[in-house]
Amino acid sequence: MRKSFLLMALAALLMLAGAVSAQDQVTLEVWTGSSSPVENDFKTAQVAAFMEANPNITVNLLIAPDYGTLIQAALASGDYPDVFTVGQFDLPSYVDSGVLMPAGDSIENVDDIYPSLLEAFTGPDGEVYAVPKDFSTLGLLYNKDLFDAAGVEYPTADWTWDDMRAAAQAIADLGQEGVTGFSAGADINRWLAFFYGNGAVIADDEGMSGVNSEAGVAALDFYSGFVRDGIGALPSDLNGSGWNGEAFGRGLAGMTVEGNWAIGYLNEQFPELNWGVAEIPMSPAGMRSSLTFTEGWAVGASTENPEEAWALVNFMTGSEGAADVATAGFGVMPARSSSGEAWITTRGEEYQPFVSAAEYAVAPVFPLGFGDFNTAFVEATNDVMAGTADPQAALDEVADVWNEIQAEQ
Amino acid sequence: MTTTTAAASQKQKAIREPNAKRQEAVAGLGFTLPALLILVVFLILPLFVAGYFSLTDWNGRTPLTNPTAYEYIGFQNYQRLLIDGRRVDDFYNAFKNTFYYAFGVIPTQTIIALVLAVIVNQRWLRGRGIFRTAFYFPSITSSIVVSMIFLFMFSNTGPVNGALRALFPNFQNVSWLTDNNGVIHNILGLIGITADTVPALTETEIFRISIWEWISGPSVAMFTIMVLAIWTTIGTMMVVYLAALQNIPSQVYEAAQVDGATAWQTFRRITLPLLKPTTFFVVTLGLIGTFQVFDQIYILQSNVTHRTTMSIAYLVYDQAFKTDPNMGRATAIAITLFVIIFIATLLQRRFVGGDRSET
Repeated sequence: MRKSFLLMALAALLMLAGAVSAQDQVTLEVWTGSSSPVENDFKTAQVAAFMEANPNITVNLLIAPDYGTLIQAALASGDYPDVFTVGQFDLPSYVDSGVLMPAGDSIENVDDIYPSLLEAFTGPDGEVYAVPKDFSTLGLLYNKDLFDAAGVEYPTADWTWDDMRAAAQAIADLGQEGVTGFSAGADINRWLAFFYGNGAVIADDEGMSGVNSEAGVAALDFYSGFVRDGIGALPSDLNGSGWNGEAFGRGLAGMTVEGNWAIGYLNEQFPELNWGVAEIPMSPAGMRSSLTFTEGWAVGASTENPEEAWALVNFMTGSEGAADVATAGFGVMPARSSSGEAWITTRGEEYQPFVSAAEYAVAPVFPLGFGDFNTAFVEATNDVMAGTADPQAALDEVADVWNEIQAEQ
Repeated sequence: MTTTTAAASQKQKAIREPNAKRQEAVAGLGFTLPALLILVVFLILPLFVAGYFSLTDWNGRTPLTNPTAYEYIGFQNYQRLLIDGRRVDDFYNAFKNTFYYAFGVIPTQTIIALVLAVIVNQRWLRGRGIFRTAFYFPSITSSIVVSMIFLFMFSNTGPVNGALRALFPNFQNVSWLTDNNGVIHNILGLIGITADTVPALTETEIFRISIWEWISGPSVAMFTIMVLAIWTTIGTMMVVYLAALQNIPSQVYEAAQVDGATAWQTFRRITLPLLKPTTFFVVTLGLIGTFQVFDQIYILQSNVTHRTTMSIAYLVYDQAFKTDPNMGRATAIAITLFVIIFIATLLQRRFVGGDRSET
């Protein structure tokens, strides 16, 4: 009897203590995916700095290796973290599932963030659902030694598609064994830079597909033309390279289209390589484009502490957070234009084209429900690049899939 | 006196017996309960939950606590998957790949495992332990590690192409991991039959897949994965056969020897029939394992070979965890896979026959 009374008293005391501390002590669950060790350390340091500045907030940071599966399971159960990272491709389905809290006016100094990145995180209702923390763009990488050998001027901002083809031709004409002009990965997330740059759109104002428009077909014809005409090749045909970066790094391609993530890879794996980067060349339509890939911090719709959660997101993605990303020394670029300069200073003047691309680059995300279109688009790209399909016919089929889905919705 | 006590004790026993039986039942249940609970919670319950979700349009992401997380849509997922969906070829393509995979891997691994088991079971073989360990080694190595080794060996500049080049100077490097051309397609090409010479086969489509594609066999990339699977599983199958071989009483062989049977006759008439239940077991394991192939494909497939190396189990994962996920469709594929494995096991029971009484 006495024992149980003691136990009850103890339990009451504990509950009281818990209630007292809960009043001023807030705990935030924060999840993100694991990337490079440098980047993981950076995130840990950011969270530690936040906790130091806000002693009443405790942050439990989880850096998970298999993040995508983990967060999906957590979302499905309804018991998900207060703050977590979202990639641009996942955003439409997260918004549709109602698991993200709209930012409203919680974002600090929003005009400083590149509009193309904000757009990638904007839902169909016009609300912003995640704050971009960093991003990458595509540029045209070129091998200076091969350009010198072929006697071709290095690419400039004025370069056109014709210049690019002529350079690839000249490098292929060198006749070096196993070396080609352009490494053309069969990937929509590469050639769409030329697609958008040629003025083509995925869907027109009436919602009908624009992939098989004249501009769209011309872009794929241009991109696959390198392989078809023997002045370019798929990376797998360049001595079995796994991706463009590897083929380019081994000096087997004069040019390729890759993002700023290749900087660290090329400089570490191929320190001998003498290379540069330029903006994607101008299309016959007189414009250019690039693609952006971004990840942002989002606040879970179920959080009990939205104020503290947004404070953390702003701490990590605000002007100071972006400045830290700029000087941290990993591949990605800070999402705020005010920190672009700092990134270039850290990485090197020669990487300016990646930052410049932020002004006009597009996030290649398709709306929700168009998964079949995405699959068809990827397969069509594979077929055209392998030479088993003609760009017009392949893209016609892809457009049919889009229009079919559009009609059902 | 004695008779009465005996009768009494008899009576007592009769009374106690049902009680003891019940106690025994309770104890038995108690002992099996932990295993039973684990089975029910982690196997049987999820099976029914998956069956239920295959009848909904849940995307796998919307919290289930949300009242509008999903709608019951009957058999629509199955209908779109198997009969008239826009991407009806997704499933049949995965089915075709898995079919070629299973029927390439199972017979090969079973026969090689049997031969290896018979060899390392021979008394005259020196260093049997070494051979047994060597053959079994791939099976106990993590499939991820083995896959990474294969990635290296079969890369364009890897040792496999190198060895082939050394043997045949005219050999052209094969892109073992990225070649999408079917193996049968390549063999037919050697004797002059290509897709162009038989237009009827390329124009006719069954479930949006042309007949030529249906018969062109596993792609070279899939073939490499099959080699990997065979190499890793023969060890396990060999050990099973070895255990069975050592269970065959030596008197039977001695009797055969006395009767003047040749080595082949002994193998054909004694060893093989006595191994029949084991063969059934090995083939069933192979069936289930090959139809569920996932991790090797997860590692070895690439963007380029996405389609020709897609297996049914991988398609489940692909549908459940891509950026625009569809858990209803994914569970419908999983249930369909379950039905396929069930039917395949029943069929092979008819052909191989696992009944001990038959032997």
